[in-house]
Amino acid sequence: MTIIGLPARTRPRYGVAVVGGAAALEDAPEESVEALAVRFRAGHEAALGEVYDRWSSLVHSYALRALQDTQDAEDVTQHVFVAAWQGREKMTPGPHTFPAWLIGIARHKISDARAARARDVRRIEAVAAVTPSAEVVGTEDVMEPDRLVVRQAVDEMGEPRRTIMLLAFWQDLTHVDIAATTGLPLGTVKSHVRRGLTQLHHTLEEVRHGSR
Amino acid sequence: MAHADIDDLAALVIEPADVPGPVRRHVGACERCSATVEALSTTRGALGADPLVAPPPELRARVMAEALGPSTAAATETGTGETPPGDPVPLASRHRGGVPLWLASAAAVTALVAGLGVGRMSVGEPEAAPVEPEPTGAVLAATPLTALGSDAPRGAVEAVNASDDVVTVSVRATELGDEPGYHEVWLINVDGERMVALGILARSDNGTFEVPRRLIEDGYRIVDISVEPDDGDPTHSGVSLARGELV
Repeated sequence: MTIIGLPARTRPRYGVAVVGGAAALEDAPEESVEALAVRFRAGHEAALGEVYDRWSSLVHSYALRALQDTQDAEDVTQHVFVAAWQGREKMTPGPHTFPAWLIGIARHKISDARAARARDVRRIEAVAAVTPSAEVVGTEDVMEPDRLVVRQAVDEMGEPRRTIMLLAFWQDLTHVDIAATTGLPLGTVKSHVRRGLTQLHHTLEEVRHGSR
Repeated sequence: MAHADIDDLAALVIEPADVPGPVRRHVGACERCSATVEALSTTRGALGADPLVAPPPELRARVMAEALGPSTAAATETGTGETPPGDPVPLASRHRGGVPLWLASAAAVTALVAGLGVGRMSVGEPEAAPVEPEPTGAVLAATPLTALGSDAPRGAVEAVNASDDVVTVSVRATELGDEPGYHEVWLINVDGERMVALGILARSDNGTFEVPRRLIEDGYRIVDISVEPDDGDPTHSGVSLARGELV
């Protein structure tokens, strides 16, 4: 079979910078996220899919950790994105709109799910005299959303920073070991680790700011 | 002394021994810099979370269906009598909805095709598997799929007659590999200049997509499966895993 090349794109399909490789992701994610936010707010249906694709793992992981139940976590994830879409006109588009906003909605939906659970427990209690335990209702770790936002930010970093960050903070390798593993100079490793931490610090500040 | 460079402050959190004495002494005396160090240690404490857990693929269709409502599901209705009761969709409006759909962007098409699975789910069908071809439909065209530039088999595609103006394209792919990303199905025109996105192979390497017959007749006959990174770009990634031409 003759291979026909992919048709060349003659014009961008949206007026948005197309996110290409990892380097582009690191350099300018803000502009495209803000543009996505504008389209989302304007009710472009494709934007809902894009927002879902990019942040459903964040929301789902948060719900899963808070509720410790697959079905409840899926339901909460669904409620969050539907609520976000229905309430999109209340959202202020910005470069860091989505994580804070979606986590904020998720917090409410998780607490609704817990309330529903507590009602069920009380019902069972009335029948079987069982005491509701914290385990059933779930406990909230206030750091959890930050940890998940940071994890996503690290996964979205360009290489080699992403690998260096994972080796340094997840595998707890020393900088010397990372230099040996990656074949990069020690000074480069150190500067990636420092800048990586600074970058995450800024991300968290902006996300927190975005939630106000 | 001027305020310390933030990367030095980060170093103070990560490896204090690397930081020169004057910087450490400045931070000890400077409220602003010590507050930044504290914030950086909080960030340091937020590292180490396990990888994020994606929800199951079928949840996307549920979200799109509930958020975008029955009108979208109706726009992609299969016309096989599965319109939810109480929500009749006149044929004309369905037709109107269908035409611009194929002129819309690839992403919009993808979203709407995702909506198709949804309409079915919302009427309570337990099997969310790809739509099976019409049992009475005749096979109009078929092709084996191969890897690009080789004969390595990658499954097969059938185009089945669904109705007067609709063809059902049934993809059964194999050995697409485990490159990260999701698999998207495209129809490339034999003119090599135009292409349309059919949708995502969400559940497995199999999927069924409804295509207006006139697209196939116009030359959109090359079935292409790509691996797409989750980068928000609705266009083809340029990485094709399998191809075949419907003949």
